[in-house]
Amino acid sequence: MADLSLQDIRKSFGAVEVLRGISLEIPAGSFVSLLGASGCGKTTLLRIVAGLESVSTGKVMIGGRDVTSLPPEQRDIAMMFQSYALLPHLNVAENVRFPLRMRRIGNPSEQRERVMEALETVQLAHLADRRPRQLSGGQQQRVALARAIVSRPTALLLDEPLSNLDARLREDMQVELIEMHKRLGLTTLFVTHDQEEALSLSDQIVLLNAGTIEQQGAPADIYSAPTSAFASSFLGSSNLIPAIAADGKLQLEDGQSLPLPAGDYPSGPVTVALRQEDASLLPDGAEVPSGWVSLNGRVGTRVYLGARNRYIVHLGEERLRVLTNAGIQLEAGTSARLALDPSRLRVLPRDKS
Amino acid sequence: MVSAIPLPLRIAAWVFVAFCALLLIGPLIVVVGVSLSESRFIAFPPDGLSLRWYAQVLSSDAYLAAGWLSLQLAVLVTVSATILGGAAAIAIHRRRLPASEAMATYFLSPLVLPTIIYALGMLMLWSAFVGPVSLLTLWIAHSVIAVPYVVRTTLAVLADSDPFLEEAAATMGAGRVQRLWLVLLPQCLPGLAAGAFFAFNLSFDEAVVSLFLRRPGLTTLPVHIYNQLEFSPDPAVAAVSTIMIGLTVFLILVIDRLVGVQKVASN
Repeated sequence: MADLSLQDIRKSFGAVEVLRGISLEIPAGSFVSLLGASGCGKTTLLRIVAGLESVSTGKVMIGGRDVTSLPPEQRDIAMMFQSYALLPHLNVAENVRFPLRMRRIGNPSEQRERVMEALETVQLAHLADRRPRQLSGGQQQRVALARAIVSRPTALLLDEPLSNLDARLREDMQVELIEMHKRLGLTTLFVTHDQEEALSLSDQIVLLNAGTIEQQGAPADIYSAPTSAFASSFLGSSNLIPAIAADGKLQLEDGQSLPLPAGDYPSGPVTVALRQEDASLLPDGAEVPSGWVSLNGRVGTRVYLGARNRYIVHLGEERLRVLTNAGIQLEAGTSARLALDPSRLRVLPRDKS
Repeated sequence: MVSAIPLPLRIAAWVFVAFCALLLIGPLIVVVGVSLSESRFIAFPPDGLSLRWYAQVLSSDAYLAAGWLSLQLAVLVTVSATILGGAAAIAIHRRRLPASEAMATYFLSPLVLPTIIYALGMLMLWSAFVGPVSLLTLWIAHSVIAVPYVVRTTLAVLADSDPFLEEAAATMGAGRVQRLWLVLLPQCLPGLAAGAFFAFNLSFDEAVVSLFLRRPGLTTLPVHIYNQLEFSPDPAVAAVSTIMIGLTVFLILVIDRLVGVQKVASN
């Protein structure tokens, strides 16, 4: 049974249609990410689920109940905002208790118990008496999280909650979110523009592009088997190489060609997706591993990433990004061979753009 | 580090600060000094020390009546200006009103309009359409002058607040009324308190409008002080002024206890 069900949601702001028919079934207890670039409509969709935005057409069901025309306060949800939105005049414990008071859950002593339980979950019980402004950004974020889970809502909505944290804290919070989701099993809808966050946290990723669902699936599936050039470039930042598929070969624009991997592919103009970690650079004279194929290119800019280097490799007009380990040192402007495993190539229909 | 300010400039700055402080505090010192005088003439430094003028003020029916009227009026104005100004600020802030920008300007216009013109207009309008002036007339007129201060101070705190707080409260189950009482008003509180303070002071020492809208039995304290100065000046005027200064200081202390002067002043 779906805890959260969206049926053909459309939303227009004036003449601009930001959501063009989104249908989504989210099973109870799952963690679903809405992933997309800014302006794709993911936050609008979340706000529609929360009731902060109305739909133009479509239906929102939460826990089997049609809530399309209900205001936020009558929906069994909790939402965590990017700015955390802690009430500045209340202390931490009062902030966390607020949803319980508003929704009349439990008597005062039960409420206090649940507040402390939620604060212990985020390891902030010792700061219960502080005011939000006395807390660091990371601590405020945990308070907001505690406040979102304290009422055990049918749907937990998270609007880019990690985006204001620095890298280290963000990694810690990701782990905590995973553990908390395991423990509490709240149906969670998570908005992010960060593919790594989506990949590491979710059971399901819903990739949005220009107001429609581009692809939807488990992180591993959507990462390894993108069905469109957009999905492929957004997840894992693939190189997209235009080619013509014909006669069992992929003819590239600079004249070189690649063997067409096994499988059923469209013929004619296609886009070849190649992940930057799925190719390696060989200095002149080095041997191509067996089963791999190679292309001739020219070395461009090198970006040092610590453990790895990222090289820009020019293939005719195309610029490809290739990750190598830090030991490989190549001079810009020299020629190099790009070796790749043809089975890692993905051949996708050319985007109609 | 800002250690590189040249010495002459630093001296000039200190002189300037001292000069400003003198202009601000000097007159107050003179008033307090005069009020303690033993002689029956207004003179500074005072001749001798006594509290006889305080005794006289506190036993004068005219002073007490004027003070009581001013106090009543100031409290009424504080209440009405805070409610009206606060409501206006919230409406302007949310841009729910047609032409919020224009409304904001309109609500601030009493700040720039010459009070004397407003006072004259109010007197003529009231006499023509309502009748003799009364406490109600003063209440309305003072409220009009005080409302912009409340609007300003409340708008300032609202501009600083997190715009998502009310939405967040809604997702936590707070209905319209609860959002108003538990989220919006607490946010406005420092601005409302500052505005209320301004409104009280404004009304309590307003002289121009009160002078135009006076009649026998409707004389506010500032108007009575003015009359006394004109017709029979004595240190009692200074004594009553000192009491007014004391009242203001007391109000500042109360505000400080409740919301913190720093918070109010920074807005």
